[in-house]
Amino acid sequence: MTEALTPPRSGALAGLRVIDFGQGVSAPHCARLFADFGAEVIKVEPPQGDAARRSGPYPGDLPDDEKSGLFFFHNTDKLGVTCDASQPAGRALLLELVKRADALVENNLPAQMRQWGLSHDELAAVNPDLVTISITPFGQTGPYSEWLGSDLNAYHLTGASARYCGRPSEAPLEHGTFSADYFGSVAAAAWGLAAIYGRALVGGGQHVDVSCAEAIAAAFVGGQNIGLLAQDKRWDSRTGVGMPLGAPATILPCRDGHVWMLALEPGQWKGLCKVMGDPEWATLDIFDNMYSRAQNADVIYEFIREWTREHDKMDIMTKCQAAGCPVSAVFTIEEAVRHPHLHARNYFVDVEHPALGTLQCLGAPFRLPASPGGAKRGAPLLGQHNDAVWGGLLGKSRPELQRLREQRVI
Amino acid sequence: MATPLPLQGIRVINFGWVWAGPVVGQTLGFLGAEVLKIESRARIDMTRNLPPFAEGIVDPNRSLSNHACWAGNGSVTLDLKQAEGRALALRLIAESDVVIENFGPGVIERLGFGYEALRAVKPDIILFSMPAAGLSGPLEHVRTYGLSLTSLTGLDSLVGYKGESPLPVENAFSDPFAGIFGAFAILAALNHRRNTGQGQHIEFSQQEAVMQMVGPAYMDYLFNQRSGAPKGNEHPTGAAVPHGVFPCRGDDRWISIAVDNDAMWQALVAAMGSPEWAGDAALATLAGRAAAVDRVHAQIGAWTRGFDDRELAATLQRAGVAAAPVLNIGDLLDDPHYKARDTFVEVQHPLGFKETIYGSYVKMSRCQAAVRPGPALGADNERALRGILKLPDDEIRRLEQSRIVY
Repeated sequence: MTEALTPPRSGALAGLRVIDFGQGVSAPHCARLFADFGAEVIKVEPPQGDAARRSGPYPGDLPDDEKSGLFFFHNTDKLGVTCDASQPAGRALLLELVKRADALVENNLPAQMRQWGLSHDELAAVNPDLVTISITPFGQTGPYSEWLGSDLNAYHLTGASARYCGRPSEAPLEHGTFSADYFGSVAAAAWGLAAIYGRALVGGGQHVDVSCAEAIAAAFVGGQNIGLLAQDKRWDSRTGVGMPLGAPATILPCRDGHVWMLALEPGQWKGLCKVMGDPEWATLDIFDNMYSRAQNADVIYEFIREWTREHDKMDIMTKCQAAGCPVSAVFTIEEAVRHPHLHARNYFVDVEHPALGTLQCLGAPFRLPASPGGAKRGAPLLGQHNDAVWGGLLGKSRPELQRLREQRVI
Repeated sequence: MATPLPLQGIRVINFGWVWAGPVVGQTLGFLGAEVLKIESRARIDMTRNLPPFAEGIVDPNRSLSNHACWAGNGSVTLDLKQAEGRALALRLIAESDVVIENFGPGVIERLGFGYEALRAVKPDIILFSMPAAGLSGPLEHVRTYGLSLTSLTGLDSLVGYKGESPLPVENAFSDPFAGIFGAFAILAALNHRRNTGQGQHIEFSQQEAVMQMVGPAYMDYLFNQRSGAPKGNEHPTGAAVPHGVFPCRGDDRWISIAVDNDAMWQALVAAMGSPEWAGDAALATLAGRAAAVDRVHAQIGAWTRGFDDRELAATLQRAGVAAAPVLNIGDLLDDPHYKARDTFVEVQHPLGFKETIYGSYVKMSRCQAAVRPGPALGADNERALRGILKLPDDEIRRLEQSRIVY
């Protein structure tokens, strides 16, 4: 790659330059994974900023474009510039940057990219080695490709919710986060990095088309269900219970929250019984194995619930784990964060941000001991690196930059 | 000649079992790597015994869910309980670039395939370990199922109906998520190897990787000491209202609607025929709708109830509203979008049956991913033993007879 903008970066992806031309969760998260491991990532925002800046969480719930937690989390370690791609001068500027990049990650509607004159073919015309990674709810082709959509629409189009999350006859559920965006962003990172890695082999850059819905419909839902559907025309729906065919295998309430109660194999069940004080009911024939226990789910869950309600989640987890039974506490966010485990592993990292101060960030998603990753700098302020990128990297003069500012291109 | 795939020439030995580990290999396989999963009839992976089976014939080579989840991995049958089996695996590793494992911490070392042992036969080897919660720390040896691993991240505490207890997700979302994520980790290490000549031992704690998914809730905890709780299908950060799943005509038919700006709200109001309740000026802004979210959702649900989900989604899309049908499993093979994108494909298995698996769920403009049927036990023995290790026929026969190759 051409000269780097920032001090030489270490990390497994050092030397790569990636443009983040996305907003919200999916594309920014994918680009941040590249930044985590040393790529130089330049985030190009429209003049009004990434829409995530206008979403909380904010400290004290006070909206402030420079203090969005949603924006911060997905944009650490990036350089931030503004560029109005809908203006010819803005498009030209972006294309100059594209010439110097290895990849561009985006999550705009395909029609929007075409309207801006920034389709993959147009980008490849200025840089044939560019890998364009597009991450959208539905993908670049197919009847829904021009549909408006969000994480919610994508997730519920996969079968995952109707099959696996919620009570029968009540609404199917998303997981309380951006599950489709995260699944899509991770798939895009893997396939996109492969496309970058293999450029010499395959003869140049290419367009990597990720549909968040399709990735989940295939690799999560399809893996487990599509064979049965295709061959036997049969299919299942959600039950509201963790595992309907074996028991115990579900989330149960305890004195201070909830536990994931799992005791399927004979040794696990024995361990659980021991922890519960070998109650007499547990010796009943109907509780002999995981299948018979599931057939008598109402009875057994009531018995176990009586016991869990009297005990604390960490106590249950510790004793069951010691007895060979894979029960875990359903950690709240606070409990997950405060548990000594992640601290003993030095997972969290402190990062500085001009508006937010020092923040304790989640650590690198995985560990590469020879080329460590993880956040080192906070997310950029809006347009923070305009001078460095447009001036320093592209060599625009001060008067040129001034003119671009006056035209509201940057 | 077809365009080569980006990972052509990369060889992977996969000790991964059940679901997450095989998906790591599958992802690299789609992208052109040669992936040899090491397994054995001496200890058959439980997922090979899961019904349904091809043509209803119970056989560890015919489990349809196993095949879909493992497709792309090759299979070499070596009994690792026997010293000779382990020695053969090590010889294969010496000819490989990447080793994948998802045993519990310490197991790979006891088998003789720890990082130092691998480095001795292949100095720049990349070893990828994906334990539940890492290779150190108080929860190093925590026992979880794929189903419950997410409980360690805080994610499970966010799933459920608004105001209620957490509800379990009924399958291991984190298995394929971590599997595909793991392929990214390996690619990063391959890039580092290309830059420096160095291999390494990747530690992929599934807990730490999956915690990415609670990032937004984590930031709220960091800023405001709030831990989050189930809130149904409402927007995770409250940045869109309405944002939910609403009933439609028919059995278990629903539509998802996500309105993330005020203009889209006006479009929805118009599409609903501008009912009086929606004309409330307070609802014109996100803050106003958020304050009345339960009422707004109830009203929309009362309206959607009479419509066909697909027709209504199309109507709302034409009006400029983000809406889509909620599919159940029975819809997947007929859905025009997945059909158009070849999401699911029927393949001919070498053992003589047809099976439907998922294909290349990511599309690349320059090359076509390698989609193969699920691996039969030992399907790649020939390639590995004769092709890579150059063993003579009588030696291979001896290994088979003594059930080292088994």
